[in-house]
Amino acid sequence: MKNCDSTRESLGAWLDGELDRAESEAVRVHLEGCVACKEERRQLEKLQAALKSVLDSEASRIAFPPFWSSVQQRITEKSAWREDLVDWLRSVFSGPRIAWAIPAVILLLLGVLSGDSLVSGFRNFGQRNNFASVESIDAYGRNVALLREDETKTTVIWLYQNQEGEDESTTETRPSF
Amino acid sequence: MSQRLKQGLLFSSLTFFVAAYLRAAENSPQTVSVKIETILASNQSGEFDSRLKALEKQLRVLKYRSYRLLKEESQNVPSQGSASFEIPGGRSLIVWLQDFRNQQVALKVRLQGGQKPLLDTTIRLPNKGNFILGGPPHDGGVLVLSISANAQ
Repeated sequence: MKNCDSTRESLGAWLDGELDRAESEAVRVHLEGCVACKEERRQLEKLQAALKSVLDSEASRIAFPPFWSSVQQRITEKSAWREDLVDWLRSVFSGPRIAWAIPAVILLLLGVLSGDSLVSGFRNFGQRNNFASVESIDAYGRNVALLREDETKTTVIWLYQNQEGEDESTTETRPSF
Repeated sequence: MSQRLKQGLLFSSLTFFVAAYLRAAENSPQTVSVKIETILASNQSGEFDSRLKALEKQLRVLKYRSYRLLKEESQNVPSQGSASFEIPGGRSLIVWLQDFRNQQVALKVRLQGGQKPLLDTTIRLPNKGNFILGGPPHDGGVLVLSISANAQ
């Protein structure tokens, strides 16, 4: 059973037929038994009727056809792909936060899963597009030199070996770096 | 399901697939093109082979007076595979592709004189980078090998 306050709050919506079935029935039952609310309803209906008569008399003077044709044109008009893209981006950017939370979580997971790559990537950052790094050298007992030259980013491995392949004393095969 | 939620899910799916593709591409087996330029360095003349222009600054580090390109050879080396290059003087160079990660190519390189190994090295190169291996005597000078790798 509705009280007077809640009935009066719902009265406008009830008159416009905007309430659901149960709500509408509760307002109707209350109005049957309440003189004050019935009077409120009568006043409201009177006000609506007055407004309607004013609008009806004025409506004939308004040029609706051009207005509607303009609206129809905008509805049927095919929008350019750029506008579609802008609309889509706008809807994505102004969308619920979950739209960004999901890719953020995915990227975070991928980052964690590829942690080893990232760590080695940071470790190798200084070497990228820079020096070649030598991890091991085995010259089978021969002398070998490793040179890293900063200016040209050059890494040189030099094997000391003469024509016979064993004697390392000749100076002809030695570079002067 | 609301339009915005649908778009959000679509965007999320696209992000996931792009990220997954990029990660797969980063880790997938690669074929690396390995190029060996065999150069004769000596002090006999002041000649500098114009075909070596791109390597000039690096070669000048070695302080020889002349440099001549004897041979240039490229081979595609599959991941965990190897390629063999003939080097003048009955030598050969065998290159194994060990790893390609973070735009770095790890190569194991063996220089052989006949069947006898002369040098083994494992080196990590920046993609499209090179290193110099030199020393073996040849024809009055020394052989200088520029070994470069280009991951495709």
